[in-house]
Amino acid sequence: MKTETDSPMKDKHILIAVDETESSKGAVLYVADILGGFPGFRVTLLSIIPEPEEDFFDTAEEQAAWTRKNLEAAKAMLENYGQILNQAGFPPDKIQIRACVGETKEFADAILEAQRGMESCTVVVGRRHKTKTEEFLFGSTSTRLIREAKNCAIWVVE
Amino acid sequence: MTIETGGYTEKQLLRMIRQWVPRERVPQKVRIKDTADFFRVDYDDVVVLDGVPFFVRNNEREGRFGLEDEPKFWVKRSINLVTGGVKVLKWVFWERFSARIGDLVFECVRSPRKEARILELVRGRPDFMQGETVPDSTGNPLRILDYIRGKTLGEAILTLGADHQEFFYRYYPALLDEFIGVVEAIRFLHESGEKHGDIRRDHLIKDSATGRYRWIDFDFNYRHGASRFAYDLFGLGNILIYITGRGDVTTHRLLRDDPDVLNRLSEDDVNIVFHNRVANLKKVYPYIPDSLNRVLMHFAAGAPVYYDDTRELLEDLGEARDELFDNVK
Repeated sequence: MKTETDSPMKDKHILIAVDETESSKGAVLYVADILGGFPGFRVTLLSIIPEPEEDFFDTAEEQAAWTRKNLEAAKAMLENYGQILNQAGFPPDKIQIRACVGETKEFADAILEAQRGMESCTVVVGRRHKTKTEEFLFGSTSTRLIREAKNCAIWVVE
Repeated sequence: MTIETGGYTEKQLLRMIRQWVPRERVPQKVRIKDTADFFRVDYDDVVVLDGVPFFVRNNEREGRFGLEDEPKFWVKRSINLVTGGVKVLKWVFWERFSARIGDLVFECVRSPRKEARILELVRGRPDFMQGETVPDSTGNPLRILDYIRGKTLGEAILTLGADHQEFFYRYYPALLDEFIGVVEAIRFLHESGEKHGDIRRDHLIKDSATGRYRWIDFDFNYRHGASRFAYDLFGLGNILIYITGRGDVTTHRLLRDDPDVLNRLSEDDVNIVFHNRVANLKKVYPYIPDSLNRVLMHFAAGAPVYYDDTRELLEDLGEARDELFDNVK
């Protein structure tokens, strides 16, 4: 008889989109808490660096250095979050990390594009409390994810 | 340092100046100035850009941050001495600052590169200012802009109609059509991946040559959050509220002129950012159609949802326009 881990059933793929905020850390801890140790799940930790607009830099070199620095910081953050998941019972081979630059898209659209590409069934994000004015002027990734997502579940962790 | 003269002699330049300027305005002597530093370029100087001499006139002015008519030393009106055309010369002026709206602070830059990029993008369009970018003597992008004769949207609105009702039935439908046109222009920018960056009513000038509004001054950029264009949309909402109210309807004004209306307002009815401005204008002017007021309410403190992009705003404006035109038939 096959054990569960040998089952030909595909793992459920959970995509956790994170940044450096405490609310993102909360999203990782939530997944670790409720799914850690259960077989049949794999996780991708995704960090999208906001596209560095050239207008904010004096030179292209300065812009490239900013991107490199932020990508390295994102990778370090994702590795830390990977360890949290690992300690919670996710095997290392079920944890992937991915850091990329978010081109000109809205964050939510970039996350959903990644979700479609990876065929993940669930997207998990943290939500920081924002005032109405703040949400109006700067937007909200979780609100847009809920509006735009198709064929997947969105978990918003507050 | 060698100053570019374009091969023109002082005598030739004086002859050219006399061609375009009234006799009493012709200077005794022509000074050709280097283009590297706008502070060294004064009234009556000549600068040569890309081989073309420009006779410099006044600094442009702009009201901003509550200060009216602040001179912009890096923006100078001038006359192209070859064609006689009035041009606005805009030197590089790097500026990085934190803008504050209420408690919110965000990073902004003034970027000549951004404006140069957009000038290329909108070349030939009647809904944006036109111009070209040439290097100054140090290689920085200096913009040579067509001077637009006409009133800003803010100036134009206040003179229309004897009162709001007359304004609304007689002038507003055409204004709404014009507003939809300027939102279409911003949609073009956004779909091309660019923000305007500083959308406000005095950055729309009705070009007296074409009768159409043109967007001006797109050198600002702001560090956006989750939504790239939300701040531009906020600017569009403020303009729509302004033109629909025939100026801003403030709580202060209502307290003075119409306290009963003020008493009917709730905290949900004011502008989501500027709480002293009324967004729910139907409570002030009951003849405003529901569909139009619904658009205004997307910019109100009580809004349950916001516009994500200009496409959504334009869809609702189209519906509002149809209802408005049915009403005034």
